[in-house]
Amino acid sequence: MDIKPIFLSLKQNKFLAILMVIQIAFTMGVLSSSVLVATDTLREWGMPSGIPHEDIVRISPEFFDETQDVGQALVKDIERVKNMPNVINVAPSNAVPFTAENMINVYLAAEEDAQEYKTVVFHSDENIFDVLQLSLIEGRMLTASDVIKGEASTTPENASKVMISEDMATALFADQAAVGQTIWLSKKSDPVQVVGIYSNFMVGERLNGRGKSYQSIIRPQVKWAQNQQPHYLIRVESGKGTAMMEDIIDVFYQERGRYIRNSELLKRTQKRMYDGRGSRALTMLVISVVLLIITGLGMTGLTAFQVTQKRKQIGTRRALGAKKSDIMRYFLTENSIITLLGLLIGILVTLMITFELSEQASQNFMNLSVLLLTGLVMWVVNILAVWFPAKRAANIEPAIVTRSA
Amino acid sequence: MFNYNFQLALKSLKDRPSLTFLTILTIAIGLGFYTTVKTMSYQGGQVPLAHKSNNIFLVQMDNREITAEEVAHQSRLVDTTYKDTLNLMAMDLPGVKQTFNWSTYGILNVEDENINPLRTFAAVTSSDFFTMFEPPFIFGNGWDKSVETSGEGVIVISKLMNDQLFGGKNSVGENVRIGTHTLKIIGVLDTWHLTRKFYDRSFSTARPDNFFIPYTFAMENNLPRRAGFDCWAGNADISRSFRTENTERLINSECAWVTFWAEIPDDQVENYKQQLNNYIEGQKALGRFPREILTYVTNLNDQFTYINGRNDFMNVFSLMSTLFFAVCLLNAVGIILAKFMRRTKEVSLRRALGAKKKTIIAQHVIEVVIIGLLGGLLGIVVAYFGLQGMMNIQIYASDYTRRVEDLQPLYALDLAMVANAFLTGIFCTLITSIYPIWRLCNTPPASQLKSQ
Repeated sequence: MDIKPIFLSLKQNKFLAILMVIQIAFTMGVLSSSVLVATDTLREWGMPSGIPHEDIVRISPEFFDETQDVGQALVKDIERVKNMPNVINVAPSNAVPFTAENMINVYLAAEEDAQEYKTVVFHSDENIFDVLQLSLIEGRMLTASDVIKGEASTTPENASKVMISEDMATALFADQAAVGQTIWLSKKSDPVQVVGIYSNFMVGERLNGRGKSYQSIIRPQVKWAQNQQPHYLIRVESGKGTAMMEDIIDVFYQERGRYIRNSELLKRTQKRMYDGRGSRALTMLVISVVLLIITGLGMTGLTAFQVTQKRKQIGTRRALGAKKSDIMRYFLTENSIITLLGLLIGILVTLMITFELSEQASQNFMNLSVLLLTGLVMWVVNILAVWFPAKRAANIEPAIVTRSA
Repeated sequence: MFNYNFQLALKSLKDRPSLTFLTILTIAIGLGFYTTVKTMSYQGGQVPLAHKSNNIFLVQMDNREITAEEVAHQSRLVDTTYKDTLNLMAMDLPGVKQTFNWSTYGILNVEDENINPLRTFAAVTSSDFFTMFEPPFIFGNGWDKSVETSGEGVIVISKLMNDQLFGGKNSVGENVRIGTHTLKIIGVLDTWHLTRKFYDRSFSTARPDNFFIPYTFAMENNLPRRAGFDCWAGNADISRSFRTENTERLINSECAWVTFWAEIPDDQVENYKQQLNNYIEGQKALGRFPREILTYVTNLNDQFTYINGRNDFMNVFSLMSTLFFAVCLLNAVGIILAKFMRRTKEVSLRRALGAKKKTIIAQHVIEVVIIGLLGGLLGIVVAYFGLQGMMNIQIYASDYTRRVEDLQPLYALDLAMVANAFLTGIFCTLITSIYPIWRLCNTPPASQLKSQ
């Protein structure tokens, strides 16, 4: 196929060609940058939570009446909840998976300039492993005898043994054995010993952003005070969570003078973790798809126009022996050249946009295969858009030549 | 002649209706998205209390240490100290109203054990809050100054709280508790739509305050203060503790944390500023206000102009929607061009038979205007659904913590926006059609006749 006549014809119709190139470039820029952001977000959505989050209820109560005894309530709450039908186990905890509220730094040495490792320390009792369905990877499980319980002001001692997650072990000790090692939970103080490693579970968005979604430590201690009241994590029979929510809330309201700040399935906590970015990315994606459709329609319109303009030339070519497929190929090639040009400019635009976005979010959105795939989709859509008018062009009868002067 | 052209235009629209429809659809989608975003930015930028926003002023005085850094803009300057707040409130100026507030939070609960408590944000303020900012009441009204001297526990609650705690009945006179403090309800507000919560300077669009209490009660009972405390070095280390404790020390400190407002008639503004300066001069004698005198008296309009200009997300979104609309228009030109160029034969015949260029232009302009009109109409429908969609995304993204009642006004198409969309639709379609029409009417007479 000779490309030269195509260039000649493009040169003749500069206005239209430029119009199409601009349009494709712009569509490509918007489409691929939103696809890049969306895939990045969706990839995180697909990350396993490591826990049965559809069957764990999280309750966060808060006493406003200072005359109430938080410790008493804690014992009663757990007893009442355990007696409910369909409840499998319950654990108090100072943190909730997916929220990463209390992110801290831990250290491997007591020196001033020791390296920092980001993590969240869950203060809970031995039941948390059953509630979250964490399995033992190495070492031993924490048991009831490791747990320290008490009112914060009268219980100065802290638990000296901890378990860490698989990813935490890898981050801290790489290939070395983690069990038996010492970690400093704050700078130059609070050393604890690792007794075991449990399976990963997702900690929350603030760690996601750093690519450390699964770094956590579980410390067997439950301490309380008026301004330090634990959350409750309750695992229920599969699929029963939603129906039980009201009853669970009522059970907690049997203690007066308190308010339930939060009561939800961890599934919802997980949803909230991604919301802000997720819905924005999806909005952009929808807008881009609409834009793609419009561009496709525009291509159809413009090609149809050119076919009408070139009826006579097409007839002549057919009369001179060109096959129907030649005519089709002419239009498809012409369109591909325009598309290619548009895509190249579009990729430059995308690089600029994603660079800016990545700077802002300090997160790398660039993904070459996604970018190339988007380009391919654009090209296919354009081929489809040109297919129908090109088909009409191919059906122009050679005899049309005889009608004109 | 117009009739004849109109008939021709209609006939040509009906010719190849799919192309016509495609053009209208393209314009409608582009315009719809453009109007959606435009409405969001327009409604989100509305200044509250429009009828007197020019006379509602935020008052700020620079009572910082001599070592503090220069401020570049009003929005960067600290708020007012508790001491100055009370002193300014004591000034009596004709026609001037003053109020102040800070944020708090609390757990509202009632005696009835079947009704669960509610945790909410709230405002601590003074009596003129209600006359200056005019929140709408369903039942009762605000408190008067005498309550503030007696320290009596009265409270104004929002419709939401009244619905949830009292089932929506007239609860004026009933008791409600904030944590363990009992207060008497004296007013219930209706849904209060503020584009942004300006009075605490947060300019937040979420988290409306659900109760209002007098400042004397809040201070005496040490209710939490949700504020940033800008303190002098002497208190800097404990400034965070002022949120819940050390009330006595806070009252006597140089920490700025109270948002102070004044409603001043136009002819009094200069006088008010002068009074502020006099006040500062007087305080300087007591060793306060060590810096050069700096005051800001900024009305609501100016504050909103500044805030709206800094809404980066909205600005980017606006730019995107404009470009999107431009692409749609480019498309429309392509399709219109395709449609018109099919008609060169007819036009050249008409020209050969004596039709003037003007007539040809008139006929096609009518056609394009009809397309623009229909595109505009359909675009408004698209915008309506676009806005509903955007609102639902917002509700979803806030994890259902924001309510339709609060968001509705921010996503409402009003007459001005509908008219704007309509005119934009017609105008832009006309502009983009100049090229196709120009091409068409320049067809030489009879040039195409030979081939028939």
